[in-house]
Amino acid sequence: MAIEDVFSSKGRVKILRILAEIGELNISEIARRAGLNYSTTNQHLQALENHKLVRHKTFGRIRIFRYNEENPRAKMIRQLIEFWEETK
Amino acid sequence: MSRYSSVFKDESKLDINYVPPNLLHRKLQLNLLNQFFRFAVENPGRMTQRALIMGNIGTGKTVLSQHFGLNLVKEAKQRNINLNYVHINCRECKGSLFMILQRTIMKFYPNFPRRGYSAEELLQALMQILDEKDAYLILTLDELESLVNNEGSDPLYNLSRIQEDRINAPKRLSLICILRQPEHLENLDPSTRSTLQRNIIQLENYSESQLEDILNDRVNLSFRDGTVPAQTLLLIAELGNSERGNARYSIELLWLAGKYADALEMREVTPECVRNAVASVYPVVRKDMIPEFSLHEKLFLLGVARHFKQTDSAYVSMGDAEEAYALVCEEYGETSRGHTQLWKYVKALSTAGIIETMVSGVGQRGKTTLIGLPRVPASDLEQEIVKILSQEGR
Repeated sequence: MAIEDVFSSKGRVKILRILAEIGELNISEIARRAGLNYSTTNQHLQALENHKLVRHKTFGRIRIFRYNEENPRAKMIRQLIEFWEETK
Repeated sequence: MSRYSSVFKDESKLDINYVPPNLLHRKLQLNLLNQFFRFAVENPGRMTQRALIMGNIGTGKTVLSQHFGLNLVKEAKQRNINLNYVHINCRECKGSLFMILQRTIMKFYPNFPRRGYSAEELLQALMQILDEKDAYLILTLDELESLVNNEGSDPLYNLSRIQEDRINAPKRLSLICILRQPEHLENLDPSTRSTLQRNIIQLENYSESQLEDILNDRVNLSFRDGTVPAQTLLLIAELGNSERGNARYSIELLWLAGKYADALEMREVTPECVRNAVASVYPVVRKDMIPEFSLHEKLFLLGVARHFKQTDSAYVSMGDAEEAYALVCEEYGETSRGHTQLWKYVKALSTAGIIETMVSGVGQRGKTTLIGLPRVPASDLEQEIVKILSQEGR
């Protein structure tokens, strides 16, 4: 994924911002907070996961997504988000 | 501006949820609990344990368990063992295993989804979380009667069974059950009952001198020096003793007496402050219980209270209580629930100790359930419920 693929999508940026702030959430809750529908949220999450910016855990039928703190790119994006929020 | 300074130095030490550093007159029981769960810090994962704590209201069941849990977790931390102690009140969870497990999981995952799966799935999820975090859990089910009344034996059976199904996996989940009335054990199936009854800790009512020690300890923690004279303390201990050695009631009385002293800008908490406090603390019935009842439980209770306010009788029949409830429902614009549902409310309110029930005998045609309100003045209860309902926007 090129950098513009992440930052050109309002939905993806919103999802990253939510997960960076909250930590861990299931898809329905991410969708609710981002104001997106379930399947769009799912698609964005898959794209973000393919590029290791988020990760998920499965508990039976429940999938919980979390921000991938171990990934250096994700770390940098989190710093950018935090800086952006602080200097708004 | 008034120069009066409060008799309290830290009233949070009189809070119902406060766990004191020294647990007076429960050393033996604390040692027993420590013996039962020693393996959790010495050989974690090798076995699990179940224990049952029983005793009347205000005998220190909750505080004993919490004190034990906090200390054991501290010790486990020093040994680098990820041991967790989670204390759940079954009544606050409306006697639902689903809600109990959800609250437990939320201690590990605060944003775990709240809907869309069964209690069984939640139990599996809990075990998975414990495995992933290499964690051990002592889960305390306080006011277990609420869960047993609502769901019978199955929840306890499933909580025990989940370990047996994981033959080679580490044993991660242990249980402490807290129960007020032993008769609720009879609602459990024999195998669940026998596993629970293996490790029973029975708490006897506190004696007057024991209550005095406990009150003294709390006075030192929460009041400024010299503000609570010995005679005040003795009076509260005496009153607590007359309520079957109820420490919770005594501590609540101590706090309220302090509040009266503050309101009257007195330098000391006098016996007169205690007498004032007695009038506004109902032993056994806790006012903090009422907001937790469902809307229709509150409406039913309001109907019962109003019935007693209008009559001098000691008991109301189920039929009359239903009529009184129907009137209250009309007043609040609610559709009244059917007999079977009301019967469940009666059971729940009786378990909570706010009403008493008995089956009618001679002098009454047919057989009906009679409802009594022995521990609280009907007019006060009515006022309290109306106040809470209006706070809830009704």
